[in-house]
Order: sequence, then C-alpha cells, then structure tokens
Amino acid sequence: MYAKMNALKQGFIRCHDCGYLVKIIHQLTTCPRCDSHLHERKPHSLERTTALLLSSFFLFIPANIFPIMTVSQFGAGDAHTIAGGIIELIDSGMIPIGLLVLIASIVVPLSKLIGMSLLILSVHFRWKINARRWTKIYRVIAFIGRWSMLDIFMISILVDLVDFRGVHIIAGPAAIAFAAVVILTMFAAENFDPRLLWDNQ
Amino acid sequence: MNSRNYDICPECDLLIDLAQPKIGEKIHCPRCDLLLLRPRKQSIERTFAYSIAGFILFFPANFLPLVGITLLGNVNTGILMSGVIALFTIKMWPVSIVVFLASILFPLVHISLSLLISGHLYFNHPNRNLVRWMRWMHHLDEWVMLEVYMLSIIVACVKLMAISPLELGWGLYAFISLIIITTLISSSLDKPLFWQRIEHLAKVNPHVR
Repeated sequence: MYAKMNALKQGFIRCHDCGYLVKIIHQLTTCPRCDSHLHERKPHSLERTTALLLSSFFLFIPANIFPIMTVSQFGAGDAHTIAGGIIELIDSGMIPIGLLVLIASIVVPLSKLIGMSLLILSVHFRWKINARRWTKIYRVIAFIGRWSMLDIFMISILVDLVDFRGVHIIAGPAAIAFAAVVILTMFAAENFDPRLLWDNQ
Repeated sequence: MNSRNYDICPECDLLIDLAQPKIGEKIHCPRCDLLLLRPRKQSIERTFAYSIAGFILFFPANFLPLVGITLLGNVNTGILMSGVIALFTIKMWPVSIVVFLASILFPLVHISLSLLISGHLYFNHPNRNLVRWMRWMHHLDEWVMLEVYMLSIIVACVKLMAISPLELGWGLYAFISLIIITTLISSSLDKPLFWQRIEHLAKVNPHVR
C-alpha cells in the first residue's frame, strides 16, 4: 500500500469534473482532458457553504410558520402549515404516509442544516473529529437532500388535480420558502469539500 | 511515474495505487470507504440501449395522463406539465420553475446527453462536444428528481383517495418505466470508462478537436 498521504501533499490535483490526475509542477489551470478549471480544493468552499447555509436557516423559519397549502371549500379556506399537514395525515389514520412526509419535510431539512453546520464548524475550528465518520455523514447529507422536494412536487400535483368549482387547493407562501431551503441546502452540500476534514488530520 | 496507475479519492484526497478492477468488482477507498470504481459489463452498449428506451418513454410519460380524480361528477386528469402550469397560474412561478426543471427539463436533457454520448462512443464517432456533454451530464446528475416525484404521486394519491375515486392513467406506467430506465442508465454508465474512451477518441482523431 502506498503511504496514506494526501495526494495534494504529494503534488497531485484531481480534476473535479472528470477525475483526471494532474501534477502540480505542470502549473496547469485547466484540465488537459475535460478543460474544466483545476482547483486543489473546491474554491471558497467554507465561505460559500456558510453563506448558503445561513440563507437556508433564515428561510426555514417562514417555511414553517406560513401556510404551505390552503384547501378552500365553497369559499371557506383551510390553511395548513407543513407541521399542520402532517398532524392531519396522522390524525386521519394515514400514519405511514404522515411519517414519510414528516421525514422528508422536517427531519431531513433539519438534520441537513445541523449536520452541515457541524461540518463547517469542525473544519473552521479544526476540531479533532473522526474524519472517516464525518465524511460518511456528509455523504448521507448530500444524498438525502433531494428527497425533501417531495412536498413541493406533491403541492404541484394537488393544486393541479383538486381544481373543481367550489373546491380547490392553493399553494401558500411557505412553498416558495421551502423550495428555496431545499435548493440552497443542496447547493451548500455541493459546495462543501469533504477533503477539508482530512486536511486537518 | 505514470499517473494512469494512480487514482485519488475525490472525497478524502488519498492517493491510491489501483490495480485495474475486473468487471463486477467494486473498489472502495481504503480510507473513507467511498465507492471509487465499479466497472460494468458492456457499459457503453447497455447505456446506449437504455438511453434510447428512456428517450422514447419520456414522451408518453409526459403527455399521457398520470392520475385522474372525480369529484361531484367532474373528472380532472393531470400530467407533469399541467402541475407546472397550475402553479404558474396561481402566481407561484418560483415553485413552478423548480418543478419544471427537476421533473421535466433536467430529466429530458440528462437522457438526451447520455444518448448522445453513448451513441458517439458506440459508433466510435469523435465529436469535440463530447467533453462538454459529459461535464453537463455530471453536473445534472443530482437535479434529476423523477423518483422523488414518484413518491410525491404516491403520497398525493393516498391523500386524494380519502375524497374521491382515483384513476391511474397510462402516463403513470410510462413514468414508472422511465424511472426504472434512468436507474438502469445511472448504474450502467461507467464514468471513468466513458472519460477514457472520450480521451482515446480525441487522440485517434486529432483533426476533430
């Protein structure tokens, strides 16, 4: 086995897009194979991730306090927040579906926000952490993010289908905030460079 | 030192001395356990075949009704695009654009790109855009959310079943097949191999670049 060393310290850069290996001595700025820009680490990884994460933290508040969906029946509107919709599902006996929505709309975004914050803090303050474990946590965070779009797609289906004279469903302002949270956290995860966890070792 | 025999783990930056893996073998990073290589049998041929199927299926999945509900004697059926339009008409255009991109445009572009790339590689046809297409496809991977949409259809159906009888349309079956096909594409598409082949094609045909 080759010495367990960071490739960067041995003078190698890996192209982010195509995985090509380039020697630092050659001082290339673009990848000879795919022409994308070469970086030792993702550029401004911590700053970008922090900015995106802070925005999603703030947007997570309106996403949860404003109604995400309003069911109007013959003039009478019934507004639901994300949590309200889940409680109603569980109350009406649809427990598995209620849990699914709970996981996708609350547990996943929240654990993403917390997990990404811990990752940023641990890199910034050079905490002594188990890099292997946190790299795996990062991988899980990056994988689960997209599943939060569940609620947004569901709204688009319901708004479309439930549109009768007298009965219809309208999306609320929380839908925009929630969609923004999902997208911003996805970008945050994409901009975070897990190799920073290993650089501190 | 020949850099071909080495690889770097993209997530922990470990320099690894790799032996060429056999088909069906999985190579994980010894330090952070990331799946590095997983060569597939007939990767290019299968990706090409799945991409053709996926491209064809995209149209029935988009234009045939997915689900229909009946309320007070009126029937409403929905397709992917009608949800986008419904959101747009209630002035939810940011959400509507997101839904359009993640469930219609990005899947279409992704399948078209994998069709173009695997087709060019299958016929050994050089094209200077191959590199660009590969990069676009790589960046789109995460934003194709058909399977998330499928889960939303299921949840929406369960919610709607309480108020009205449901009718499953042919579009839904096409949509499910499309998801299976996109999963097959992503599992058969061996990116390192594709990059090697593209590099090789460019080398043998220097005039094209």
